[in-house]
Amino acid sequence: MEGLGYLLALPRFEYFSPKTVEEACSLLERYGREARLLAGGTDLLVAMKKGKEAPRYLIGIKALSDLDFIEYDGELLRIGALATLQSVADAPIIKEKFGLLATACKKVGTPQVRNMGTLVGNICNAGPSQDTVPSLLVLGARLKVVSSRGERIIPLEDFPRGPFKTALEDGEMVTEVQIPTPPPRSAGCYRWMTKRTEVDETLVGVAVLVVADPTHERCEEARIALCSVAPTPFRARRAEALLRGKGISEGLLEEAGRAAAEETRPRGRAEYRKLLTSILVKKALTEAWENLKGQEVVS
Amino acid sequence: MKRLISLTVNGENHEVVVEPRTTLLEVLRDALGLTGAKEGCSLGNCGACTVLLDGKPVLSCLLLAVEAQGKEIVTIEGLAEGGKLHPLQEAFVEHGAVQCGFCIPGIILSAKALLDENPHPAEEEVKEAISGNLCRCTGYSNAVRAILAAKVKEEGER
Repeated sequence: MEGLGYLLALPRFEYFSPKTVEEACSLLERYGREARLLAGGTDLLVAMKKGKEAPRYLIGIKALSDLDFIEYDGELLRIGALATLQSVADAPIIKEKFGLLATACKKVGTPQVRNMGTLVGNICNAGPSQDTVPSLLVLGARLKVVSSRGERIIPLEDFPRGPFKTALEDGEMVTEVQIPTPPPRSAGCYRWMTKRTEVDETLVGVAVLVVADPTHERCEEARIALCSVAPTPFRARRAEALLRGKGISEGLLEEAGRAAAEETRPRGRAEYRKLLTSILVKKALTEAWENLKGQEVVS
Repeated sequence: MKRLISLTVNGENHEVVVEPRTTLLEVLRDALGLTGAKEGCSLGNCGACTVLLDGKPVLSCLLLAVEAQGKEIVTIEGLAEGGKLHPLQEAFVEHGAVQCGFCIPGIILSAKALLDENPHPAEEEVKEAISGNLCRCTGYSNAVRAILAAKVKEEGER
């Protein structure tokens, strides 16, 4: 079949289906920049149909079933490269202890896209508006990266190196995301606004994680991460510093929102995105803090 | 390079010759003559190409046919049994949920996946389940009503 008569057909490529991670890595090494890994395909195949990408070799990794896992040992959550966005959003342990990640995964795409697309794929696409990344940043996620030269761990914060660019070197693939359990007395959430299009791309995405001091009176630590308002998702550290060790008031949260907006570098609709940032940061912090106060009452 | 693959569609095995770049949608429509799945946007936004893969709704326009091997594929053509429409299909007819019909196979398959997993969904859950299926003519209200009615109907018949 030639794919004739279709609005959009895929360009030609050579396809491999390695049976092991080692084999996948050696193919990546052999074909270098002419090869791309194919997991869910919901980003890469779209880019290929649009003519934005034309890899000569696709290395399909769906058969690497060892990478389809979500495991929690009481301290570390590990999510394999083939875990779909939907499976992450639905996993009871993630809903219970890492709720802001479940929320972010559910924001991506449509039910069909989430059944196909993977969390690791979303991270590796490395677009400025990847919804899953802010939540993972405030949770302190790391990536396990494998190549024929061995393994290394990259903090997620060091992974995006510009729009659609990552810290991966030739022949390397991400095999899992590792996420430590959030600190005691913490609560987080992910909030966003989107463009109104068929894919509802995020205009501003805000993840926060707030830790209360033992008295639940003050904020011991606050982490704030944003997407879609700079070349890559990032932690708004000046806004975070404003909150550290302080008693929470509406005025302070508003100040933190403004500080976070100052840290953004939006390319388009800059004024609007900054305004949205300040509002969403305040809203997300308020919600997380109220959640924490709720926990105190319950315990 | 072309290769011979084997696909399980609506419970039947089919051997087809494909290129790596051939999508499942192209195989279903061109090789198997199953034209219920449509090419709407071809970019994964509209859901007109939705099929069930091991029970879950996926986009056949973004799935390489070679990667659909070993999976149970269900298309709209696989729902009716012995010439009798599936309760969801009957409910869509009864509720006038179809106008041009282009999006309907996808909507019904998304709804089937929902009802198979969650037999008593709330209205919001139905809306969420079909949120990846765009309709440009009838609107969604009658489709939602049909889906909510279908389960009741199915149970009534037992």
